[in-house]
Parts: sequence; C-alpha cells; structure tokens
Amino acid sequence: MSHPAVHVDHVTKRFSGHTAVSDLSMEVPAGGIFGLLGPNGAGKSTTIRMIMDIIEPDEGTVQLFGTPGTGRELSDRVGYLPEERGLYKEMKVFDHLVFLAEAKGIRRAEGKKRSLAWLDRLGIADWAQKKVEDLSKGMQQKVQFAGALLHDPELLILDEPFSGLDPVNSQVLKDVVVDLARNGRTVLFSTHIMEQAERMCDRIVIIARGQKVVDGTMADVKREAGGRHIALAFSHDKEKALAVLADPALVARTDDYGASAEVEMAESADPQRLLALLVSEGVGLSRFEIVEPSLQSIFIAKVGDAQVAHRSEAKERAAS
Amino acid sequence: MNKTFAVIRREFVARVHTRSFLISTLLVPVFFVAIMVIPAMMMTGTSRSMRVAIVDGTTSDVGARIESRMALEKLGDSVSVPRYTVTRVSAAERVDDVRDSIVALTGLGKKREIESFDGVLVVRDDALATGELEYYGTNVGSPEAMGRLENVLRQVVTGTRFEQSGIEPAVVARAMERVNVSTHKVTEGKATGESGGASFIIAYAMGFILYFGVFMYGQQTMTSVVEEKTSRIMEVLASSLTPFQMLLGKVIGVGVTGLLQMGIWGTTIFLVTSQRERLASLVGVSPDAMQQMPIPTMPVDLLVVFLIYFALGFLLYGALFAAIGSMCNSVKETQQYASGVMMLIVFGFFGVFAMINDPTGGIGMVMSYVPFFSPFVMPVRWSLASVPLHELALSIGAMIAALIAVSWLAGRIYRTGILMYGKKPSLGELFRWVRAG
Repeated sequence: MSHPAVHVDHVTKRFSGHTAVSDLSMEVPAGGIFGLLGPNGAGKSTTIRMIMDIIEPDEGTVQLFGTPGTGRELSDRVGYLPEERGLYKEMKVFDHLVFLAEAKGIRRAEGKKRSLAWLDRLGIADWAQKKVEDLSKGMQQKVQFAGALLHDPELLILDEPFSGLDPVNSQVLKDVVVDLARNGRTVLFSTHIMEQAERMCDRIVIIARGQKVVDGTMADVKREAGGRHIALAFSHDKEKALAVLADPALVARTDDYGASAEVEMAESADPQRLLALLVSEGVGLSRFEIVEPSLQSIFIAKVGDAQVAHRSEAKERAAS
Repeated sequence: MNKTFAVIRREFVARVHTRSFLISTLLVPVFFVAIMVIPAMMMTGTSRSMRVAIVDGTTSDVGARIESRMALEKLGDSVSVPRYTVTRVSAAERVDDVRDSIVALTGLGKKREIESFDGVLVVRDDALATGELEYYGTNVGSPEAMGRLENVLRQVVTGTRFEQSGIEPAVVARAMERVNVSTHKVTEGKATGESGGASFIIAYAMGFILYFGVFMYGQQTMTSVVEEKTSRIMEVLASSLTPFQMLLGKVIGVGVTGLLQMGIWGTTIFLVTSQRERLASLVGVSPDAMQQMPIPTMPVDLLVVFLIYFALGFLLYGALFAAIGSMCNSVKETQQYASGVMMLIVFGFFGVFAMINDPTGGIGMVMSYVPFFSPFVMPVRWSLASVPLHELALSIGAMIAALIAVSWLAGRIYRTGILMYGKKPSLGELFRWVRAG
C-alpha cells in the first residue's frame, strides 16, 4: 500500500491568543483530488501553510509521502499556489516562469521548454514577453498556476485556485487539475465555493473554526448526510408552500432559493405527506424529488452546527 | 548550488535592466568628467594672454623690473605666447587716481570697442619695504592664476631686495631657482613608484568606494527583501528555495551588480585621469589646470587586498541588511534597525581617516582587525604602511569567522522573518527566531 501524500497528525496552531487550527488530523491519499473546505477564516490557509512547512505547527506533525522530510526539503516534489499571489512585477512572464522552474532545480534549457508549453496550454503564449505588471489579475494567476506545475510535482497544493477567475479561465484550470489527477498526481485544493468542490473532489474535509467537522469521500459524506432531502421547484403559488415548510414536525431545515428550495425532512417524517400537503394547499410544483443533499447544504448544516456549538460554548463559559 | 545561481542571475538581470541602473551608471562618469573639467575650465578661465596694467608709483626701478619679469612668463607649454601683455603707467604721486581710472577700463571684455584690461597691479613706492602689492582683476578667484602672479612678484621683490643688499645678480638668480620636492612612497624597504599624493588619493578613494558601495548596495539588498515581502512573492520562493539560498543569492546578486557598476565607474575614472591631456585639448582647457591631481596607480597586491575586503565586507553587511529587511514590512520600518548598521559603516569609514592621518597609529591598527571595520581600514593600511602577511591573514581570518557567524544568524532571522507579517519583532522574539529551526 502506498503512503498517503499528506498526513496531518493532531496539529494545532495559535496566533497571538486565538487558535487558528485546533487538533486537526487528516490524510490525503496519493492520487485524486482532495478538497479542503471551510468558511472564511476557518484555518484553511494556515493548514496549507503548515503542510508546506512555511509556518510550523505549535503541536502535532505533518508528514509528506510517508517520509520524514519537511515541506521545504521536499519542495521539488510539491507544487504550491499560495493564497496570496505574488510575482516579480517587473519581470517578463516567460523569464519569470523560467526562474520559477530553476528555483525548483530544473535546468534552464528544460525550464524554457516547459514554460513555453504551459503558456501555450493556458492560452497566454501571446503574453510571454510582456511584463507581469501589464497582465490582468486573472492572467497573473494563470502564470503563477503554471509556475506551480513546471516541475511536474507529485503533489499539487492550491490555495483558493479559482478565486477571482472568470468562468472560462476557471474551466481551463479545472481541466488541468482533473487531467493531473487522472495521471496519478495528487491535488489538494482549498475553496469555499461548494459547487466547484462537489463536482471535482474525490475526498473532502470541511473545517470550521479550526476544527474538522466533516471528513471522507464525497459519496460517504453524502450518504451520511442521508437521503431525506427533497429538491423542490415551484411554478406558481409558492407563498402557499411557506406555511407547510415551516412545520417543524415535518421539515427540519429549508434552504430557500426563491424559485426552488432544498428541504431536509424532519426525523421520521414522511416525504409523501409533504407532497400531499403541498398539493392540497394548491402549490404549483414543477419538481418534487428525493435527492442526495448538495454539498452546499451539508456545508451550511455542518458549519452552522459548529458555529452554534461554538456560540453556546462561549455563552456557557461566559456564564460560569 | 544551481538554485542559488538562478537567484543570483535573476537579481542581476532584474537590477541591470532597470532604468535607474542605466542612469546612475552613466551619470557618475559624466559627473566625474564634469568635476575634472569644469573647475579646470574655470581656473584657467581663458588660455589667452592677460592684459595687465601696472600702476607704477615707485621712484625706483621695481615697477620696470616687474614689467620685464612678467613679460618673460609664457602661456602653458608654449614658448612663444606670452602669459601677460603688460602696460606700465607711471603714476608718481597720483597712484589712487590712476588706479581708479584704469580699473574703470578693466573687465569689460569685448563688449566695447576699446580693449579693456584684465587686471590692474598697483606698485606703490614702499612696495619693496613692506612687500605689499595690490592687484585688481577679473580672475582673482582663480587660485591657480593668483599663485602664478604671486610667484612672479615674489621673485622680483625678493631678488631686488637681495641686490640692494649688495649681492651679485648672478648669485641671486642662482639662489632664486625653483626647488622641487617629489614624494615617493616606500613599502617594505622598496620604493613603489607612487607619489605621496597618489597614495593618499588611492587610500581615500578606496575608503570611499567601500563606504559608498556597502552603504548603497546594502540598502538595495534590504529594500528588495522588503519588496519581496510586500509583493508576497516570498511564499512562492520559500516553497522552492532554502532561506540560505535566498539570502546568499540575493546578497551576491546585488553585490555582482554593484561590482559591475563600480567597475564601469572605475574604468571611466582611470581612462579620464590617464587621458586627461587629450581630454583637456578636446574641451579646450589648458592641460596645466587638469594636472592638479596625480595619476593614481594601483599595485596588483593592493588591488587583490582591496577586492578581498570589498567582497567580504559586502557579504557581511549585505547579510545584515537582508536580515533587517526580512524583519520589516515597509522600507520606512527598516530605518530604525538600519541606522544601527549604518553607524558601524560610518565608524569604519572614520577609521579610514584615522588611518590616513597616522598609518601606524594604534586606533587604525586595532580597527584593521575588527571584522566590521577591517574592510574599510585594512586596504587603506595596506596602501599606506607595510603590513606583515601574518597580520593580514589574521584580519582576513577574523573577517571570515564573523561572516560565517553573521550569515548563520541572518539566515535564522531570514527564515522566520520573510514570512512574518504584522508587527515588528521585539528583541526577545528575534532571539526565539534564531533559536528555532
């Protein structure tokens, strides 16, 4: 059995009083796409930086490829796109990529060849001789993305790779990532955009307030969340549905999108009964389907729980 | 090693490609030529003869003697063009009136039809007794022109005094012949062929180049580390390179750029000083005026010592500046820490003066062993006094030991500092950074 690409073991990191990551353990198996999900400020970037050995954990250990080496020592096997993008503004795009390749220990001639290939693949070959500062933010991001891939790393760590990209460029990046995973590389990326993660990831970890709230394959996570979700779409008289959906004996949670809604049934409530009630109320339905929960709804449920738990904990602490 | 080289190359190329590098590299030679040529132009003023009126109020022949002696002075190297065109006016009792009327005709240039005078020399009857003469002229600001005139007048006055005391004119002429002292520097019992003036200039120039180089390029190193922090490229670099590779690459990259720039400057200065006569004729200045500065020649051993100390000194201070840059989030913030390092540099530079003052004195001697000062002081000491080889070895050894210690320290601070954003570290935190990792 091959070693996991990343093994995070009971890691804690504190910054001047507040705990950014608290006793976090996770394992990224070799191969495939792994999503590190969480709301803003959940500790995603801190976790990634600890994996990259850019900051050191206060407690716990991080292991890459089952070897004792640190992220910086193994940097030639890892590609990294930090959350804070940074390039030398006054350098030409092509020269910059060649430099990034050399910094990963690739010979200059080979680095030039690969830089050209990646510029071509990402559709920015025309910009190769332009200065970085003349490029748009999105294009700079593509350049940096290419920079992380030049040395063909076994493990690719992307911190919010899709933020700030238009749909076309997101698609280009997604295709590259999927392609890498298909070729046996491991991709770990963080995001708070659930639709993206839902479509791409084999495994996910959701963290909130520095703690892990969900961990597993996408299929397991959905199964655990249960098949008691119902997707609704309304054609008319939607307002008549509100009273029915507000009944706590029937509906545990409603995620209202306006023209559609995702509903989680209450414990032991019968979906048939919900349908009957909606029809008898005269609600026009264009869709009524028992579905797997969307990652979005799982995320909101779990992260919401974690936040509620945190708040009540804080209240208890304040009371005592 | 290849990675470090990639960083050096990037630093070098990025720096050399900037407009400011181009401008400063070109401007300094232009500036240097200007400071050579412009004062020379101003000092010689013109290379034409000066029209001088002598207002002669004497009853003796001193006025006439001055006239004939001045007429002997030739311009520059030529044998035919007289330096002064002299008109003597006998004024008897009315010296002041005659003087005023001629002064009114002085310094008009070619604006008027009449030819004006460039200067008026007033010789009163008591000139021989008091040794007091007056000169009114357009060129009194030129030390060179005034020096020449004074020299001529002194010869006449002194010669006349001697003759009046009954000394033979031939003896006087012999006695008045010029005395020249040429200075020759001695090192280890051998004359080096350098003049005293030249070795002073070399000593001063070396001290200044080191001071300037360390100061300017050290600051550049610091600023560029801060820029890498603010542009957030640090995190990408840190995921590819070790802090030591980054530190070394940066310091050497900036250093090589500095060396190139100084090489260009040094070559221009050498060419300008060695070709100054051609340069003088090119801009139409008398070569005499540019002859003021002796041509410094740098012996090979001195050049080697200088380069060793330049390299070591730059690496030492460069590492310090880089470490400071890594601790700060803005250029403004660096100033507080940098001022401490600057004090060291300035102190080392003062050591150069102590050394020039007294090449075998105690202060300079001690400073030539202290790592932070020896880069400035030791090359100067080597150029001015003879330094036994084992003392040189000791000084370089101390320097290398300090360099290793400082790079180790700087590397530790750098490792943590480059990825720290937010408030500046306290001394205690710095200590923890050094201990960690």
